[in-house]
Amino acid sequence: MLWLYLHFPHMLLDHLRRHRQSSRPLAILSGQDPRVAQACPEARALGITAGMRLKTALALAPNLDVIQTQPGQDTQVLEAQARWLYRCAAHIALRPPDGLLAEVASLQRLYGGLPGVWQTVAQALETHQLTASMALGHTPEAARLLARADQGECTADTARIRHRVTGLPLSQAGFDRTTTERLQRLGLTRLGEVLALPPAELARRLSPDALSHLQKIQGTRPDPVQPWHPPHVFRQEVDFLQDIEQSQGLLFPLQRVLSELEEELRWRQQDTDSLHLSLRHRQGDDSRIHLRTAGPEHRAEAFLNLARLHLERHPLSAPVTGLRVCVRRFLARDASRGQDLFGKHSHPEEAWHTLASRLQARLGASALQRLVPRADHRPERAWAAAGALGEPHQQRPVPVLPGHRPLWLLASPYPLGEAPAAWLSGPERIRSGWWDGQPVQRDYYVVQLADGPLAWVFRDLRNDWFIHGWFG
Amino acid sequence: MNELLTTLIQEVRVWPGHRHHRARIPAEATGYRELDEPLGGGWPRGALTECLLDGVGMGELQLVLPAMRRLSRRGKRVFWINPPHIPYAPALDQEDVDLNQVLVIRTNNRGDTLWTLENCLRAPVTGLVLAWPGGLASREIRRLQLAAEAGRSVCILFRDRRQASQNSPAALRLQLTPDGYLGLNIQVLKRRGGRPGQSCTLNTARRAGLAQTEASGVVQGPWTVPRE
Repeated sequence: MLWLYLHFPHMLLDHLRRHRQSSRPLAILSGQDPRVAQACPEARALGITAGMRLKTALALAPNLDVIQTQPGQDTQVLEAQARWLYRCAAHIALRPPDGLLAEVASLQRLYGGLPGVWQTVAQALETHQLTASMALGHTPEAARLLARADQGECTADTARIRHRVTGLPLSQAGFDRTTTERLQRLGLTRLGEVLALPPAELARRLSPDALSHLQKIQGTRPDPVQPWHPPHVFRQEVDFLQDIEQSQGLLFPLQRVLSELEEELRWRQQDTDSLHLSLRHRQGDDSRIHLRTAGPEHRAEAFLNLARLHLERHPLSAPVTGLRVCVRRFLARDASRGQDLFGKHSHPEEAWHTLASRLQARLGASALQRLVPRADHRPERAWAAAGALGEPHQQRPVPVLPGHRPLWLLASPYPLGEAPAAWLSGPERIRSGWWDGQPVQRDYYVVQLADGPLAWVFRDLRNDWFIHGWFG
Repeated sequence: MNELLTTLIQEVRVWPGHRHHRARIPAEATGYRELDEPLGGGWPRGALTECLLDGVGMGELQLVLPAMRRLSRRGKRVFWINPPHIPYAPALDQEDVDLNQVLVIRTNNRGDTLWTLENCLRAPVTGLVLAWPGGLASREIRRLQLAAEAGRSVCILFRDRRQASQNSPAALRLQLTPDGYLGLNIQVLKRRGGRPGQSCTLNTARRAGLAQTEASGVVQGPWTVPRE
């Protein structure tokens, strides 16, 4: 087994800086009495270091952007990193708060040797704009120590790795403070000197935890690694450094998240048709936006267009401090139905889905209706509105209606105010609905009104006359 | 004098009217032979048509029904945007229109209506757009006309007859008036590449399933007259 460990010295900082356009110095604070936990290179150049108090940091750099970490945030960010690493390596594990472990011995053939693996991961790090130190080791612990000490190199040579590990100073050997002090009092300075001692002696002098740590470094004690698999949801969060007040400003970070979604979907070979976008506000509830596409979709551009349409229609209620994109529904991807190889002529069904998504995003899902005939004798119940994107209704033989039906039906019958100029056909008696409590008994006639139009009128039981439709 | 004319003609400085070929606009047959003639082949495709009429029920849908039936059976979408009443599904079914292709869209404001029209017109899946847009400015019609040119669909706007005097960039403008017993008079107010002023009368008795001949007073009865 050969393990690759990735240590992210300032993962949160990298994560936040990716979604930022300004180049002002940035520091991340932690704790009740805020102290600088991580500082970006610009801030470090101004003299800000980790552990510094907020007041001191602000005195050094008055235009410093500061962010307070939220509990659990680093785990989320780490999982986001694990997600892309999972595309390179099959067997990976999380090492919270800031490390990832991947088994690479089995990958050597795939990437054409260890340097191939190393370069692939290094490139991925660069694409994701992350700083990380990588190291290889024959045990997870050894790889971790080397990565944290930034001593890693691309080699599988046992002796070389062992040389690196034994050369580590005690302060970087991952012991707790009392153990380190005790060992230092014994006159030991390097990890190699501790490892050279007989295990029985060590067991007598060190705590059980420290001993197991040593054995895990050497590989004499089992160190089971819980493999991590990406969850079957896509969830990506972006925290803004400054509140965003205009919906236009949301599109830039959103585009970034959506292109990650596109990559994720492409990698899974899946599509989705619904996307939840929530906008976090400083006060009050999040604004939740549900974007639905008419058909399976994976392109970031399509989602962005829908989001843009929605945001244009619904202005922001309050400044936005962060956004989250969540996709829970994944659909297997069909073979492209384009008619030619280069996709110049898109399939009509795809074009229709694009159009329907656009219309629904702006007008609301209920604004589009299909018409479905129903088997009922009552005219107002002989049709129904169906959603625009449902299953096409089954073609059935047209029922032979006793009379002719008008192309226009009035939403509610309108009282007939004048005597018709001509009675053209009728009566057609419709008597129905006694079984469901909405009985109807009407005599229908086709009449021509004085100024020309043809109306479908009826007389009800109380001898009142109504217009129910127009022959358009 | 003759020399002068020859020079003018040779240098093509004057427009020789007798050689003018009728510009052929791609058209979708209306299904009525007597109407195709004054329209120059049928409903213009990739252009706007305006039908100006008062009210409903004079056979205006009967005009577009054959084209709707044909286009929907060909798998093209038929949009009804803001219809004044409910398009009645059993009647459309009776007329053999493919209801799966028929979509009714209702919008809340004028901005949405124009946007919807424009999007529907530009989409390659659209075969026919019927719209009741209400009042439109000339600039907005121009915009729709451009959208219609981008697609290749038939677009028919139903508007009030009072707007007949308004200047409009639509390619075809028709005025519909009821004519006698079940007739519909169609007057061409404007036609691109053709002469206006032609008119024809269609008998639309079949919309109510009636015989085509004059037979007023088919039904008479001792019915109580509607109360005033």
